[in-house]
Parts: sequence; structure tokens; C-alpha cells
Amino acid sequence: MYTRFCATLSKLSLMLAVAGLIVLIACVQYQVIGRYVFNDTPTWAEALALLLVLYITALGVAVGVRDAGHIGMDSIISLLPDRLRLKLEIVIHILVGIFGALMAYNGYIWAALKWNDQKPMLPIPSSMDYVPLIIAGVLVVLFTIEHVIALIQGKEVVPAWN
Amino acid sequence: MELIVLGVSFGLLLIIGVPVGFAVGLSSVATIITAGLPVAVVFQKMVGGMQVFSFLAIPFFIFAGELMLHGGIAQRIVRFANSLVGHVRGGLGMSNVLGCTLFGGVAGSPVADVSAMGSVMIPLMKKEGYDTDYAVNVTTHASLVGALMPTSHNLILYTLATAGIASVSVLNMMLACVIPALLLTVLNLLAAYGVAIKRGYPTRGAFTGWGEVFNSFIAALPGLLIVVIILVGILSGVFTATESAATAVLWALLITAVAYRSLSWNDFIKSCAKASKTTGVVLFLIGISSAFGYFLAMYDVPERTGELMGTITQNPWMIFLMINLALFVLGTFLDMAPTLLICTPIFLPIAQKFGMDPTQFGVVILLNCALGLNTPPVGTTQAVGCAIGGISIGQVMRSILPFYGALLACMMLVTYVPAFSLWLPNFVLGH
Repeated sequence: MYTRFCATLSKLSLMLAVAGLIVLIACVQYQVIGRYVFNDTPTWAEALALLLVLYITALGVAVGVRDAGHIGMDSIISLLPDRLRLKLEIVIHILVGIFGALMAYNGYIWAALKWNDQKPMLPIPSSMDYVPLIIAGVLVVLFTIEHVIALIQGKEVVPAWN
Repeated sequence: MELIVLGVSFGLLLIIGVPVGFAVGLSSVATIITAGLPVAVVFQKMVGGMQVFSFLAIPFFIFAGELMLHGGIAQRIVRFANSLVGHVRGGLGMSNVLGCTLFGGVAGSPVADVSAMGSVMIPLMKKEGYDTDYAVNVTTHASLVGALMPTSHNLILYTLATAGIASVSVLNMMLACVIPALLLTVLNLLAAYGVAIKRGYPTRGAFTGWGEVFNSFIAALPGLLIVVIILVGILSGVFTATESAATAVLWALLITAVAYRSLSWNDFIKSCAKASKTTGVVLFLIGISSAFGYFLAMYDVPERTGELMGTITQNPWMIFLMINLALFVLGTFLDMAPTLLICTPIFLPIAQKFGMDPTQFGVVILLNCALGLNTPPVGTTQAVGCAIGGISIGQVMRSILPFYGALLACMMLVTYVPAFSLWLPNFVLGH
């Protein structure tokens, strides 16, 4: 049940990230076209691209946690006996989850603080720079809980989409 | 005290196997708590570190590389390389080196290079009677050139890592890497040829003629043009580096989907998904490393490391050797991106103090990272090559020396002869 929920969430996140990446490319291309064809460099294009990349990263980081895409040094734990390794893997996921929680909480603090500031080139509050921290943090916490449960039950988390 | 917390917690987290990005993040948090500053600062630095326009080139180059991987460009490049050098002794080894260099230019990533070229070349070499360890070593080493190509996102990563220490432009780095990349290719060719002679590998038919060279070149040309578009685009001022990277994605899409018709809808979605995930992992690392770099600067880590090294020797040659050694050791444990992001703020100021140009240092650190990609315990390129060849890393290591030799020779030449890296950018940009 919880795994199904996380799988759907992860698939959705990755699809959104892909859509974001495509819009990002369009955005930067539009800047070039604007400059040479319309003789008018759109000022919002760069600002939007920089904002968009934060959201793509947030979603990509979270899905990376679920699909074990983040690279660490596994050479030492692979030498340990099975039971000890299992415990250590749980500890690793909990540590990653703690960082996720910190990311979400501090993202919230910054977003609340900057609610009344406006971004220089875009008609939105500066808080939007920090919302990705909340998204990434919450997703990371959810996915690490899923991993810990899977480890205890002796199951594996399989990537939800591609 | 804070510095001890930073170093010890980071080391400990890495050793138990916490993913590098999270290890950097957690040790930064531990440090800031020790220093009695608000934890929120870490996250502000993280978001701030990701708001640089040239930074956008990274997801684009990753994406373009993913597309090129699926696009049937590798086969065309192999055909072209074969037509040129396939007929000499150990010809497939030579074509492999040449092919990997060319594809490295197209994809800009050693791992993408070894996946694409390895899956074509390694089985082919095995079928024609070459030993598997040779096939894997040739491919994994030739692929490293990808890290030095204008399409390399690691090169952009380095320019970002130098922020606040020195200003190195992306174009400068792209040009600085060209001659070292060619040098490494020549040295790899020599190593591949030397081993082929020693093991008595066969020659394979005669030269197929200039007609075939020309035809196969035309077939591979659309893929190869990507490097030209990027370099000419930036040099002429038509594009910024970031815009050239976005154009590279469109070009890759055009070639694979329209010109070669080898990219299916599924491949396209797969490339998009993979690129998004890799982007997340790499950009997160960049963001969080800028928090880490902030602490390194705050606690004078470069100065202290420099002083420590200064007590051992004052000779620049020895200092550079020590930096190379340190980078090599760290590079074997860490992947390319974290090595660049963590080591640049520490060692670049030291190298500069002893007279090395930041651009030259960039090429040196990229070469060191490349060496780390083919060294256990964390040798990403090597692991992919071994998986394709169906051979253990231990077996490959037994005959790796000639290829390490080529890489080390290149590294020493770039470290001690500035002209290898600096002549071309100075000549073109007229410093």
C-alpha cells in the first residue's frame, strides 16, 4: 500500500522533472531566438530557467533517493556480514531521511521569510526559490521510510518509471 | 574544533556508505551547529550555489549525452575509425581508441562513452580473438578523453567550483582541454599498439581505400558536428556556453530522431528520465558543495593545507606532485563530480600560490579524476567496461599498466609543461 503510494509519487515526480527539463531547454532556446530573430532579449527567460532548474533538481534528487541513484562508497559495507550490513543500510537511510527533514524544515523557514519579497525578473515571490527544498525534503523523507520498511521486510524497492 | 567536526563527520559518513551529497550536507549541518550558527545558513548557501546561469549547461550536456547514447552514432563512428586504422596490427584496438575519442567528443562523458562504444567494440574484439582484458582496458582508457571534450559537463563543473577563487571562463577551459585530449589519444594509441605487438594480435585485411574513409566519415559527420557547433558558436559570440549546450540537445535530437532515425519514442523517454535523475544527483551535489566550500574557506582549509605542504617542501614541482597524489587518492574513492567540487577549493589556491594557472590546474584535476574512474574501489567507467566484457575488475587490473602509463605520462606533461593546456586558449583568445 505505502509502496504503491511511493511508486506513484516517484513516477509522477520524474514525469514532472522530464517536463521541466523540456521547458527549460525551450526557455534557453527562446532566449537565443528572441535575441536574433525578434531583436529583443527576453529578461524573464533566464530568471525562469534558473528557477525551473531548482524544481527539476528537487524532483531528481528525490527520485534518485528512491531508485538508489546517489553514489556513495559501498566498498566497505559490502565486506560486512549480512546482518550488520542490513543494520548499517538502515542507518544510512535514516541519516539521508534526517537531511531530507532538515531540508524541508529550513526550506519552509526561508519560504515564509521571503514571502513578501518579489523576485527581480519575475512577478512571483522570492519564496519560490525555497519551495523546491520543501518538495525535495518531504519526498526524500517519504522515500527513505519506504526503503527502511523494505529493508526490514527483506524486500527491494524497484524504480517506478524508466 | 569546527574544522575537526567537518572533517571527521564527513569522513565517517563517507566510510559507512552515505551517498556523497548527503554526507557533504550532514557534515555541513554538524559543523554549523558546532559553530553555533543557524542551520538555515547551510540551505541558503545551497540554493545560492545553484543560481548561476552557466550552471544550466550541465543538465543540457547530460541530456545531449544520453540522447547520443541511443542514437546509432557509435556504430557509424566505429566504421569510420575502422576504415582509417583497422588494417594495422591490433587494428581493432586502434579503431577503438580513435572511436572512443570521437564519441567522447559527441557525448562528453567517459561513462556514456564506455557504454556506447564498449557495447559495440568489446564484443567485436572478443569475437576477433582479442583478449577480453585488453578489449576492456583499451575501451575504458580511451573513453576517459570524453571528460576533456567541449561537450563535457565536468568541465563546466570545474569552472563553477572555481567561483570565488579564480575566474576561469568555460570557453577558456574548453580550449585548454583540446591539446591534452589529443595528447591522451596519441598516448592511448601507442599503449594499445605496444600491447598488440607484444601479444602478437593479428592484422585484419588491407586498407579499404580512401573512398571508404570518405563515405564513413560523411556517415558519422552529423554526430561529430556537435563539437564544431559548440566551439564555433561560443567563439563567434553567437551563443553563451549555456545556450550552446541547449543547442547541443536540439542537435542531438535532430540527428538521432530525424537524420539517423535510430531513436524510438521509448528511447527518448528513457533518455529524458535518466537525464532528469542524473541532473538531480549532480546539481544537488553542486548546491550542497557550495555550503561545504563556504566552511572550507571560513576555516582557512586551503591556507592550512598549503602551510602543511610547505613544511615538507617549497619546491613547486614537488608541491604539484603532492597535489596530484592527493587528487589521485581522493579520486579513487569519490566519483568525478564530488572530487572536482570538494578538491578544487582546497588545492586550487595552493597550486596558484606555487605558480600554476587556474586553467592549467583544471586540466590537471580533470585528468586525475579520469584516472580515478579507472581505479577501484569506485571506478565508474571501469565497472561499466568490465560489466560489458563479462570480466572481473581484478583481471583487468593485471594488465592495466601500459594504459595507466599513457594516462600518467599525459598528466605529468600537462602538470609540468603549461603550454600543453595554455597555448591554445592564449593563441585563440589572444591573452
